[in-house]
Amino acid sequence: MRARTLGQKLQLALRYAILCALSILFLLPFYLILRNALMTDAQITSPHWQWFPLQPHWENFRELFADKTAFMWVGLRNSAIIATTTLVLQMLFSSMAGYALARIPSRASRSVFGSVLLTLMIPGAVTFVPTFAMMAWVGGVNTLWGVIAPGLFSAFSIFLFRQFYLGFPTEIEEAGMMDGLGYAGIYWRLVLPNSRAVLMSLGVLAFVGTWNTFLWPLVVGQNPSSWTVQIVLSTFLTGQTVQLHELFAAALVAVLPLVVVFLFMQRYIVEGITFSGGKE
Amino acid sequence: MNSQEKTYLPNSRTRRDIIKTFTFACGALLSGCASSDYVNGKLVLTQWYHQYGEKGTFQAVHRYAREYTKVNPHILIKVVWIPGDYGTKLATALLTPDGPDVFENQLSQAMVEAGQVAPLDDLFTPADLADFNARDTALNSVNGKIYAIKMIDDMGLLYYRKSQFKAAGIQPPTTMAELLNAAKMLTTSSRKGLYLGNDGGISALLNVLPWSANTDFLVDNRIVFNNPRTVTSYQALVQLNRSGTLLMGAPTDWWDPSAFTQGAAAMQWCGLWAYPAIYKAVQDDLGAVIWPALDAAGSPVTFLGGWSAMVNANRPHVEEAKRFLQWQWIQNRKIQLDWCVGYGFHVPPRHSLAVSTPKLQQPVPAYAVEMLSKYGKALPPLWSSSMTSDLTSSLTNIVKLGHPADQEIASAASSCRRELRRELE
Amino acid sequence: MTTTTQTARDGENRARKRLGTELSFWGFVTPAMAGLVLFMAIPMVWGFLLSLSRAQNTIHFGHFIGVRNYTDLLTDPEFLNSLWTIFVFTLFIVPTTFVFSLWLAIAVHNIPRGKAFFRTVFFIPTAVSYAAASLIARMSFYSGQSNGFANHIIGLFGLAPIQWIGTASPPWYWLVLVSVRLWLQVGFYMIIFLAALQQIPRSLYEAAALDGASGGFTVFRYITLPQLRAATVSVLLLNLIAAFQAFDEFYNILGGSGSSSGNIGLARPPLVYIYNVALSSQDFGRGAAGGFIITFIIVAFTLAQSRLFGFGSAKEGR
Repeated sequence: MRARTLGQKLQLALRYAILCALSILFLLPFYLILRNALMTDAQITSPHWQWFPLQPHWENFRELFADKTAFMWVGLRNSAIIATTTLVLQMLFSSMAGYALARIPSRASRSVFGSVLLTLMIPGAVTFVPTFAMMAWVGGVNTLWGVIAPGLFSAFSIFLFRQFYLGFPTEIEEAGMMDGLGYAGIYWRLVLPNSRAVLMSLGVLAFVGTWNTFLWPLVVGQNPSSWTVQIVLSTFLTGQTVQLHELFAAALVAVLPLVVVFLFMQRYIVEGITFSGGKE
Repeated sequence: MNSQEKTYLPNSRTRRDIIKTFTFACGALLSGCASSDYVNGKLVLTQWYHQYGEKGTFQAVHRYAREYTKVNPHILIKVVWIPGDYGTKLATALLTPDGPDVFENQLSQAMVEAGQVAPLDDLFTPADLADFNARDTALNSVNGKIYAIKMIDDMGLLYYRKSQFKAAGIQPPTTMAELLNAAKMLTTSSRKGLYLGNDGGISALLNVLPWSANTDFLVDNRIVFNNPRTVTSYQALVQLNRSGTLLMGAPTDWWDPSAFTQGAAAMQWCGLWAYPAIYKAVQDDLGAVIWPALDAAGSPVTFLGGWSAMVNANRPHVEEAKRFLQWQWIQNRKIQLDWCVGYGFHVPPRHSLAVSTPKLQQPVPAYAVEMLSKYGKALPPLWSSSMTSDLTSSLTNIVKLGHPADQEIASAASSCRRELRRELE
Repeated sequence: MTTTTQTARDGENRARKRLGTELSFWGFVTPAMAGLVLFMAIPMVWGFLLSLSRAQNTIHFGHFIGVRNYTDLLTDPEFLNSLWTIFVFTLFIVPTTFVFSLWLAIAVHNIPRGKAFFRTVFFIPTAVSYAAASLIARMSFYSGQSNGFANHIIGLFGLAPIQWIGTASPPWYWLVLVSVRLWLQVGFYMIIFLAALQQIPRSLYEAAALDGASGGFTVFRYITLPQLRAATVSVLLLNLIAAFQAFDEFYNILGGSGSSSGNIGLARPPLVYIYNVALSSQDFGRGAAGGFIITFIIVAFTLAQSRLFGFGSAKEGR
């Protein structure tokens, strides 16, 4: 690096100062969750501010999971099932369709791709009333598959996979052809294993998105047995009584898995966002 | 396996993992949605309750369910306890074939017209009918048929501490002006005078205020609230909100007594249901009045609310469901009494029960029971939640945004009239 | 003879192969396309028929009433108000997010040390759901009592606690709603900008330095910004669509139909309105009609925006 002038040094120092201040601001909510999750209700509502409990009340978590009316286990389990299923099936369906649109010549290719683009234009959230009507009709309300099903199909991820496979090296497939593999064999044995990076990136994004969705599970999962973690959290805000310590412990439990996913999978997530953001 | 395949197939383990995960997820999915009418040869009836805030209620409803199976070994009651936005969740579930068999709710005419609830007239003997509060039965009837059994009568009370009133030299408020004055006198730097909910009383007093001005909302199929009395009553709420005496931003809403018991507010509009919790915290210092009259031309008032049990008409076992409700809410006086005064306090809808319990003879509950029968007001089943939503928006505009009350009320009235026309079509 | 049978067999083979290819194609696309038809096309048609019906407490269409649901909505001050609310919100949140995330990206991009740390810090809130963020905002950060974090901080300066959520004048609740959304999404858009910044060739800056354009802003205006065109378009577009569909934080912070519904009247976005009409009031006809009106507006805005910034040139820019 070339030497900096004094002015540039000052500017850099100022930039660091602002970035540090913003970092503190961005991390504050996490600190607040942790602080409140380890306090008693009296400590949380006390007018005398305490930066951190001297004796952390870890038993709040035991209480939360023991509370039969809080549905925390159910929510965690459902969220995990829903997000994992969506991750696996959405990636499978979308990569299959994206691969076919990019590599299997067909007369219908153009019109199929056209209709994928068309559905991209429809904002997902505003179809929730008719989709709900249909779901209720086929008996999907209050079931996990009803919460999962619409999320399995994403026009956007089909589009992204098509873009990806357009740039996929042809040598791999040619090698498969030589071995006498059909399209299914090539896709399953050669293409899929070589798409790991993009599957991971888009898969993690799908997982995060599904774990955090709110409106659709709120609409479809009316019965506590089909609630997701997000709905469980929301009922703390709309419920009859509030146990503050339990509420923040629940928030921590809901947020923690994804923060861990983000920290360990950051590379894939960043790639996924770059891929989807840049190609929009 | 040739060399090329080897090069490109290093990840079969990954794929096997994917398949494993998938199979696991599918299995979990299927087990999660297996539903059947019968378990071990017993008919399963699903019963929905909203989440009651009082300790012990959750255990109680499960106990009632078990008791029924003891008397009727071939029927199992599956209780579902719903925290959060119960009304929306229930209404949505009723649209599906797998809704609850029996549930608690407030009856609306739209539910009857959509064929969602079964008529229950044949569950009452004439003696039962005479014992039930006639007003409750009327509110639970549409076109002469009874669709719901009243479980509990709820009502609002304005709680205060006698010692604080005495120290401030004031009497329990009998008019809105006195209430405003009391709120001002009792507000200190660390305590607000009055708590009406986090929206400043908009949802809690939406109906109570006009009632306290001796006007009403929907009478003989006509919208009648577009009048100067409603305007004045809503303007009184504006005054309260501007006085700086209202507590806002509390962790719990007006139906939970914490703000009052913890001393964040000197007075709170809450319900009789909270009396046991409040009495435990305040003891004999506790005082309560119903909502004061708006002015000399008004009248003190409280709402007649509560919950009623209904049968889902679109389930396969309506008859069994009806028998169960008859057992629980008409025949089993022990359960009814336990549910009314065992946890939170509610007025039993049956006269014979209401007079039989010593718990309701304590000063505040006794006063409450008397006031409810004298001044309790309710909305007819024809009043819809769209109407509540229209009126709430208008009151929000009046209180929070300072819009002129007369125009807002007129606009709400025209929206409500349109709703009414749709309903009566 | 042999040649003709050969070509005939070739033709047959080719035809069979083509049929095989067609079959594989459909085999590959059918699961995804069937899903899209099931969860996009059919609901759209069903919803359209519902929107022309009176469907009170029922999800079945059939009681047709023409366009009355639409006219009812467009004359309902509550609905028009919700459109206005979301319009103002979008107008504010889109440029703010854009500037904030671009600034963060440039700042993080141009520091010699700690890049990964700052990137992670600004990015990690993206992992949090709106439900959880709303809960922290309402119950802790912006709690109206003196034990709320914001009130504690202003208390240190001797200021009285502020009702962040329930009061309309001044409308602090907008600060709450906007800061929650910014916290949750700025990191996401920052990542898009960071990736784009990394792709700008160094030579461009060196050439600019040779031309004497050394002032930070000049370089930014004439080199950085044009090079970020593709990223800018996608950030604006994604952001606009997300803002128009706002639901979660409004519902959870101001309160849906269950809790104190008085506050949601302060700022009720269209999606909350539709949720209330369809699921709380159970009027599915009007709810579906509202959905179509919003869809129409979003599509119109998206088209206008892409015309304004030019999709074609964005593609060329890559």
